[in-house]
Amino acid sequence: MIEVEGLTKVYRSPKKAPGLWGSLRSIFYREYKKVTAVDQASFRIAAGERVGFLGPNGAGKTTILKMLAGLLVPTGGTVTVAGFTPSERRPEFLRRITLVMGQKQQLLWDLPARETFELNRALFDLDKAQYGATLDELIALLELEPLLDRPVRNLSLGERMKCELAAALLHRPDVLFLDEPTIGLDVTMQVAVRRFIGEWNRRNGATVLLTSHYMADIAALCPRVIVVASGQVRYDGALDELVAQYAPDRHVVVRLLRPPTAEEAAQSAPLSQVDGRMEALVPVSEVKAVVDRALRTLPVSDLTVEEPPLEEVIARLFAREKR
Amino acid sequence: MNTYAAAARAFPSLLKTGLAEMVSYRVELVIWALTATMPLLMMFIWDRVAATGPVGGYDQNAFAGYFAGTLIVRQLTTAWVVWDLNEQIRTGSISPALLKPLGPLWLSAAENLAAVPFRMLVLVPIITCICLWRPELALGLAWADVPAAAAALALGWMVYFFIQVCFGALCFYTEQSGGIYMGFYGLFTLFSGYLFPLDLMPAGILSVVQWLPFRAIIQTPVSIITGQLHGAAVLAPMAHQLAWAVICAALARWSWRHGIRRYEAYGA
Repeated sequence: MIEVEGLTKVYRSPKKAPGLWGSLRSIFYREYKKVTAVDQASFRIAAGERVGFLGPNGAGKTTILKMLAGLLVPTGGTVTVAGFTPSERRPEFLRRITLVMGQKQQLLWDLPARETFELNRALFDLDKAQYGATLDELIALLELEPLLDRPVRNLSLGERMKCELAAALLHRPDVLFLDEPTIGLDVTMQVAVRRFIGEWNRRNGATVLLTSHYMADIAALCPRVIVVASGQVRYDGALDELVAQYAPDRHVVVRLLRPPTAEEAAQSAPLSQVDGRMEALVPVSEVKAVVDRALRTLPVSDLTVEEPPLEEVIARLFAREKR
Repeated sequence: MNTYAAAARAFPSLLKTGLAEMVSYRVELVIWALTATMPLLMMFIWDRVAATGPVGGYDQNAFAGYFAGTLIVRQLTTAWVVWDLNEQIRTGSISPALLKPLGPLWLSAAENLAAVPFRMLVLVPIITCICLWRPELALGLAWADVPAAAAALALGWMVYFFIQVCFGALCFYTEQSGGIYMGFYGLFTLFSGYLFPLDLMPAGILSVVQWLPFRAIIQTPVSIITGQLHGAAVLAPMAHQLAWAVICAALARWSWRHGIRRYEAYGA
C-alpha cells in the first residue's frame, strides 16, 4: 500500500539576527539555512496495517506524514501510496486517503458540522445514497447526533475532533494519516477517539498511520511502530520487540502483611524496602527466581510484575540515540 | 474524471456553503460592502467640479450615472481571495482544502460569488438615493444589452479574481504578498475607471492604459450598464475583457501549480 525509499525533505529557513539591526539588515540581505527534516527514510506498509510514528518534537514524523499525504513535495527519494505519487495530488489519489491533523481543522468554524459534511460530499462528488449511509454509520459510531446542528465554534475540543474524524472519513478512504488526533483531549475523549479508530480499521480494513505524543494511543492501536529521530528512521518493527529491546527489566513490587525481619529482607535480595514495601528492577531472565524467592521468604500480601511505561521505554531509546 | 465536470456538479453546493457563511457574517458583510463606496465619494467630488459646466463631456447627471454604475460594478465584481490565500498559505490552514479532489480555488470562487446577492441588497437603497438626488442621471441600460452587461460583469469579475489568485499564489514564494498586491491595487484605482472615467485621461496615457487589464474590471462593464456602449459597440471592449480573462486564468493556473510545489504546510 505504501512504499517509501530514501525519502528526504530539506526546508529552506530564513535566518534573522535578533533586534532592530537584525530586522533592518534582513530587509536588504536575507540569509537562509537548510534544515533537513527527513533524511533518507525508507519503509513499507501493507494494506490494513496500523503503524505508529514515534519520535520527539521536531523529529520529522509530521513531515513524513505530510509527504505521504501529498501536502509536501519531497526533496529526494520516492513515495508511492496506493500506487500513486502523492505530490501529484491527483483526484483519484485524494479520494483514497485522508489526513486528520489534531492542530488544524477543516470544519467550517461558524457553521454546524453538517455543513462541512455536505461540502465534502460535493468536493468528493459522493453518491448521495452512499454518503447518507456512511454519515449514518459515523453518526452512530461517534455519537454525533446532538452535535450536528450546533455551530462548530460552540463545540468542545473533543466534540470538534469527533466531527473532524467524521468529515475526514465520509469518502471512505483506504489510508488514514492521523497526526496527533487526540492532542489536548481529556482522557475519556482520548479513549473514545482511540476506540473509534480501531473499530473503523476493523470494519473497513483501512491502513492507519498515526503520530501521537500519547503512548496510550500507540499502545492501543499500533502493533507496529516506526521510531523517527533527527529525520531518520531509527527503529521499524513490532511494538513488543521495541519494549523488549529497550526495557529488558521488570519492576517487581511485593506488598507485605508485616515488616520483614532483617533475615527475611536479606534473603529476598535484590528486593529492597521502599515505603513499607519491597521492590526492585529485575532483568526479565531473573524475574521468576526473584518472585519464587520472595514468595518463600517474605510474608507476602500482594505481588506485581510490571513492564516499564512506554513513555520510559521511548525516553531510553532517545537517550541512547543522543549518546 | 474531468475536473470541470466535477466542479460544475459541486458548484451549487459550494455556493450554498458560501451563502451560509455569508449569512453567519451578515453584519460584517454589510460593513465591508459599505467600505467599497469610494465611487460615492468620487461622485460628489466630480459633481462639484462639473457644477459650472461639463468636464470632458460629462455633466453632473453623466457623472452621477457613471459613478452609480461604478458603485454597482465594484460591488458585483469584487473579490478578496488574495487576502484569504495570504492568511491560509502563511499559516498552513489551507492544508485540509489541498487534500480535496476539487481544489480550494473553487470554494474561494463560490464564496466570493455567494456574496453578490447580499451586495445587491446593500446597493438598492444607495442607488435609489442617487436616483432621487439626480433624477436625470445617465443610467440607461436597454433590455437588449442586459445579456452583454451580465457577461461584462462576469468577465470583469473573472479578471479581478484571477489576478488576485496570481498575487495570492506569490505567498508560496514570499510568505506575504498582500503588500505587493496593494501596489497592483494602486494602479487598479488609477487605470480602471474607479476614480474617474478613463476618457478624461490624456490621450497618450489612455492609448497605453486601454491595453492593460484594469479597464476590463470597471470601465467596460460600467460603460455597458450605463448605456454609454450598446449594440455592436460592446464587442471590442468585451473581446479585450475576454482576452484578459483567459490570460489571467492561464497565469493563475500556472502560478498556482508552480507555487504549490513550494508549499511548506506550516503550523502543524
